[in-house]
Amino acid sequence: MNQKYTEPFINSFLNVLSQLGFDNIHKESVQEIGKNIESPGVIVILGIVGDLRGNVIYGMSEECAKKIASTMMMGMEVNEFDEMAQSAVSELSNMLTATASTEFTSMEIRTDISTPTLMYGAFNASASFEHVMRLEMRLDDLPFFIFVSLEQD
Amino acid sequence: MKEIKIVVVDDSPFSVAMLTNMLTESGFNVVGSANNLEESIDAVTRLNPDVVTMDMTMVGTNGIECTKAIHLVNPNIKVVIVSSMMDEEIERDARKVKIAGYVQKPVDSEELSLLINRIMADEELFTELDGLYYTVFKEALTDTCNKLFKMVPDFQQEDNSNKVQVSRGVSVVIGIIGRYGGRMILDMAYDTAKKITDSLLKKDSQNKEEIINTIAEMSNIVAGNACSLLNKSNKLLGLRVAPPTVVYGESLNISKSELDSLASTKAESIFGELYMSIGFKRGECE
Repeated sequence: MNQKYTEPFINSFLNVLSQLGFDNIHKESVQEIGKNIESPGVIVILGIVGDLRGNVIYGMSEECAKKIASTMMMGMEVNEFDEMAQSAVSELSNMLTATASTEFTSMEIRTDISTPTLMYGAFNASASFEHVMRLEMRLDDLPFFIFVSLEQD
Repeated sequence: MKEIKIVVVDDSPFSVAMLTNMLTESGFNVVGSANNLEESIDAVTRLNPDVVTMDMTMVGTNGIECTKAIHLVNPNIKVVIVSSMMDEEIERDARKVKIAGYVQKPVDSEELSLLINRIMADEELFTELDGLYYTVFKEALTDTCNKLFKMVPDFQQEDNSNKVQVSRGVSVVIGIIGRYGGRMILDMAYDTAKKITDSLLKKDSQNKEEIINTIAEMSNIVAGNACSLLNKSNKLLGLRVAPPTVVYGESLNISKSELDSLASTKAESIFGELYMSIGFKRGECE
């Protein structure tokens, strides 16, 4: 997959997370993987259509999800990955994808995004296209994955 | 379009009079006004308006607080902020309480009237989609099963509750994009997915990938057909589907949705139980 399709997701992660108050965030690695995605515990799936078509899937451990939720809720303690925490992580995935979509627009690539679907437990996912880019990000030393599965429409 | 009933909330009698005149001249029916929180609650309870125009700064209260109170009475009332103050913080707060739109004072009559008409047309369109989509998706699933397997699934009643779902084993997620965003989930046991694949490919499928691809394609057909039918009924919907993602595993929970309209059903088939959930979200703050 073209690198220019992954860059907006990396930038969006770095910008949005720092705006939310995370200091310790960086990109660890970018790797092309097959269509099979092993879930780290929590995933959020969003569909994309427009000049590009496919999905972006955010993956993180429950620990990481709770940390995100806690920071988004002004430092409130989050012990359980409950409804409120799930809602916060869904909202983050929306913000990340919308920000990436805005960057695509500035590259004259039009994209529209669907509502997010959040799933958790022990499972695997299979993307619709053979090639998926796995962007491994770090957030307070916890891995946060962005799986980008996009093709030109 | 039906007559649009409006309540004007503003603590300045001058603003109330001006907005009332302006809205009446534009063809709206201003059914009442209110100057504070208590009067606002009373007015919307008695008059059940479609739209409330809301001042932002009022003595003893503010537009956000009043909007929350109004939505407790009726969450479907569209609140339009009409205020001289508008900055990022207000916009953020406004979004949180689901404000339908805002205009800045001094008010341009045409701008306000256009905004209200657009909000109400959008509401009518969402209501139209809301009344249609469940039947259409059910028909699309029935039609797909009929064409592919010569069988008609036996549907249980429509369920509109929003709760965490435990997957039966395999879940296909398809994002829907258009005038309104949404998603479809088709969920079934792995054994059901295998039986469907065996029936379609006329062999004993042992390959997991083959099974996943088959279920993904079947779901894609259902969602694609349903969205085409919905677009035919009203082209303003402009719905399109994103490619399917298949999620499978021993322990898989589907979180509660953040959608404004949700419908799901279970259907018995010769292959086992199929669970289908569809939902849509209204547009964001204008």
